[in-house]
Amino acid sequence: MSRARVTVRLTVNGRAYVREVEPRYLLADFLRHELGLTGTHIGCEHGVCGACTVLIDGKTGRSCLQFAAALDGASITTVEGIAGEGPLHPVQEAFHEAHALQCGYCTPGFLMTTIEFLAANPDPTRDQIRQALTNNMCRCTGYLNIIEAVEDAARRLRAQEGGA
Amino acid sequence: MREIEDFTLIGKTILRREDSYLLRGKAQFLDDLPEPRGLIHLAFVLSPHASAEILAIDTAAARALPGVIDVLTGEDLAADVPPYAPVIELAGYRGVARPVVARGRVRHVGEYVAVILAESPYAAQDALDLVGVEYEPLPAVATIADGLAPGAPVVHEALGDNVIFRTRFATEGFEARFAAGEVVLEEEFSLGRVTGVMIEPRGCMAWPDPIATGITLWTSTQIPHIVRTAIAEHLGMAEANLRVVTPAVGGGFGTKCHLYPDEILVVALARRYGRAVKWVQDRREDLLTNVHAREHVLRLRVAVGRDGVIAAADLDVRTNCGAYPNHPFSPTLEATAAVRMMPGPYRIRAYRYEAASVLTHTAPTGAYRGTGQPSAFLAIEGMMDRIGRRLGLDPAEVRRRNVVRPEDFPYVNVVGVRYDTGSYLPSLERGLEMIGYDAFRRAQPADRLVDGRYRGIGICNYTEVSGTGAPGWRVRGFARMPGFDSSRVVVEPDGRVAVYVSQADAGQGHFTTFAQIAADRLGVAWEDVTVIEGDTAKTPYGTGTFASRGSVVGGGSVIRGSAKVGEKIRRIAGYMLGCEPSRLALGGGRVFDRDDPGRGLTLREVAETAYSMNNLPLPQGEEHGLEATDYYDPPMVTMANGTHVVEVAVDPDDGRVEILRYAVVHDCGRVINPKIVAGQVHGATVQGIGEALMEEIVYDGGGQHLNASLLDYLIPTAMDAPDLALGHIETPSIDTVAGIKGAAEGGLTGAVPAIANAVGDALAGLGVSITRVPLRPSTIVGLIAAARAARAGAA
Repeated sequence: MSRARVTVRLTVNGRAYVREVEPRYLLADFLRHELGLTGTHIGCEHGVCGACTVLIDGKTGRSCLQFAAALDGASITTVEGIAGEGPLHPVQEAFHEAHALQCGYCTPGFLMTTIEFLAANPDPTRDQIRQALTNNMCRCTGYLNIIEAVEDAARRLRAQEGGA
Repeated sequence: MREIEDFTLIGKTILRREDSYLLRGKAQFLDDLPEPRGLIHLAFVLSPHASAEILAIDTAAARALPGVIDVLTGEDLAADVPPYAPVIELAGYRGVARPVVARGRVRHVGEYVAVILAESPYAAQDALDLVGVEYEPLPAVATIADGLAPGAPVVHEALGDNVIFRTRFATEGFEARFAAGEVVLEEEFSLGRVTGVMIEPRGCMAWPDPIATGITLWTSTQIPHIVRTAIAEHLGMAEANLRVVTPAVGGGFGTKCHLYPDEILVVALARRYGRAVKWVQDRREDLLTNVHAREHVLRLRVAVGRDGVIAAADLDVRTNCGAYPNHPFSPTLEATAAVRMMPGPYRIRAYRYEAASVLTHTAPTGAYRGTGQPSAFLAIEGMMDRIGRRLGLDPAEVRRRNVVRPEDFPYVNVVGVRYDTGSYLPSLERGLEMIGYDAFRRAQPADRLVDGRYRGIGICNYTEVSGTGAPGWRVRGFARMPGFDSSRVVVEPDGRVAVYVSQADAGQGHFTTFAQIAADRLGVAWEDVTVIEGDTAKTPYGTGTFASRGSVVGGGSVIRGSAKVGEKIRRIAGYMLGCEPSRLALGGGRVFDRDDPGRGLTLREVAETAYSMNNLPLPQGEEHGLEATDYYDPPMVTMANGTHVVEVAVDPDDGRVEILRYAVVHDCGRVINPKIVAGQVHGATVQGIGEALMEEIVYDGGGQHLNASLLDYLIPTAMDAPDLALGHIETPSIDTVAGIKGAAEGGLTGAVPAIANAVGDALAGLGVSITRVPLRPSTIVGLIAAARAARAGAA
């Protein structure tokens, strides 16, 4: 196995980073251990549970299945980039108010999935929400409050759009 | 317990404070913690065999790999890391020890065979493939039946056979009471093997303290105090030199309330190398090696009157305990839970049981949400339906005739468990009403076929053991289960409050609810209370967070601790104000005269006196400081209850079960935070749906694990979670502080039998008998085909 390192340039949450890593270094490890952005969690390392979901050039992707080197030049958004240090994003607010998280380990992945989903489906039905959320596993909440949070987040985002 | 009525915050939904960092990705789970310099990363070589002799281990190539520090086998650890075992004081249990890393023999797939120590996780993973292990495979047993078969391979030779635990019980005159029944029914029920699947797998990191001589163990556990006692005892350390801290814990469900070999090992290696040592589990290791649960077989025989009333019940339970006893519960946990819980909400007065735990060459089993109760209620609730079908009675009516009625409380059940209060009958009626039971039955066609699918309703009445105190653990022989929990409530010099609790949160919301409780009792703003838990160096000793005990025991202790500090506040304030302490009340961050609320002091002013920050004296004999410690040992158990009623449609072509409507009535006594309780009910119910319809760890006959990935071990997704109608009944306990009962497990316990019964009801016309979960589509298609074939054969 080659130990040669390659240069990877990624824009993460709007900030440009350049790092030398092994070609096999996973995006999740790059974010967590190279950049210290530990909000992206690893739950299965085989792409099923969705805890590691991030936005890669605006689309959700499993950071546990992708090599950082293969994404050279990409723009990544992680949970830390949703609201930065500012007030919570409407999706985060909706999760808080609906009690849509318990242990919270899976939550960053759900937030990324929801943000992408609502951008394309501003007024979804409960069935559409259920289908969209199958990308992510949660073992604490039984999903019902998450579904409610997504419905509520959609309302908040629509109101924001309307108001803008 | 003195009735407490003047609640201000207890009983109100307060949104969780922990969300503020979880939602921003700022929580610190085990693998998120900053890593110390010189950290050693571990990876384990796992046994690919269920049973084998280890002939040789060649570590040379792995050692030669750059970045590898060392490779250790069981032999290399023998001197300072001996095998470990739970401490069980119960007749019929024969203990065996478990090696931290195998020596000479492996007894299940996934057992640790060697450990890599490396400078990075990537190097450790690379080295795994370079360790050459030569095995001599041996015959293996995977199932209860195979483990009990004459001449079966024996998992632990020292025991002579595979029955590690057996217990029996019978009420006086049982045989005569059984014989008096007019109708005898018998059925064997069984449950597949499942596991917790916390989204955060386990992990641990031991860190030699750079200043003192001690070691700090960070571990993703539900039981920090029990882990500390066990490891210190095991490694011969002074307990004070080991500090166990839980970071944020990404779900527990019972799976994380055991002591695991890796937790011992990271401490032992940190001591040996003088460096920090870390291990993070991956999902495959989770599914292969963390405790599994269930895999129970229950043969239930009941004698019944023609009126449907049970005269006597006879239960035989067998559990598959895997290759080693778990620590601290041992295999007695699920066996004794199932037999002790089976009478549940019903007036069964003549009872006989036998329980046995059987060793096999599979992963150890242990605690998982519901512990023995889903099994017990699958049997008794399945039997209720069978009684109805046999006698031509409605299954709901059979339950009405057997249930412990409101006038029966307090009630002591047939195995000596006290039910102080409960709402068994009202809960049943409410559940039936919510689902429109009578209307459904009237409309249900005889063949149960509606639009090509079979429709049925299932009911489960359940009781839920919660808040088990020392007497409850003692009676079952668990010598390392304290039973009590504790709190230290401190009014700090600034007048704000710190609450140190012996528990360890894994998502239950303790940082909110315990603050809510202390603020309520001390009359301060909720925002001014900080909760600290999950750290043995900061909190007083206790049991931990599992078995629906957090709110009952932890919450009860915070109430009592707050009351004790409240007394001291009143004494000091009374002295400062020159009035009787009994005249003083707490509220609004002040202590004031009830009859003259303008006359009072802020807590900060009282604290200044208590902490000698002013020139005012303390009352004679009063000590400085403003805090109290409370150890609360609750009753043997506190019994919550509820009812699940669920309507399903079963597609005979593809075997799929669709949940059409689902009603849950739950009664956990005094509610602290309604939204958090509802979250527990949702989560547990959906886990129960998983156990009923899809989840199962599968071993082949030779003990090979066949589905160690989340593609193959299915847990519910949002598509599998039906909308739930929740009905709340609040019947406070009269035995616990403030009447609190637990709430975390009933959802799962109710769901498994209710769904099995609903499918059984739907398919009853076909002659299908539902006796086993999970009810996967292939299982149902097979059952329908077999029933049709049997009918065709009979015709």
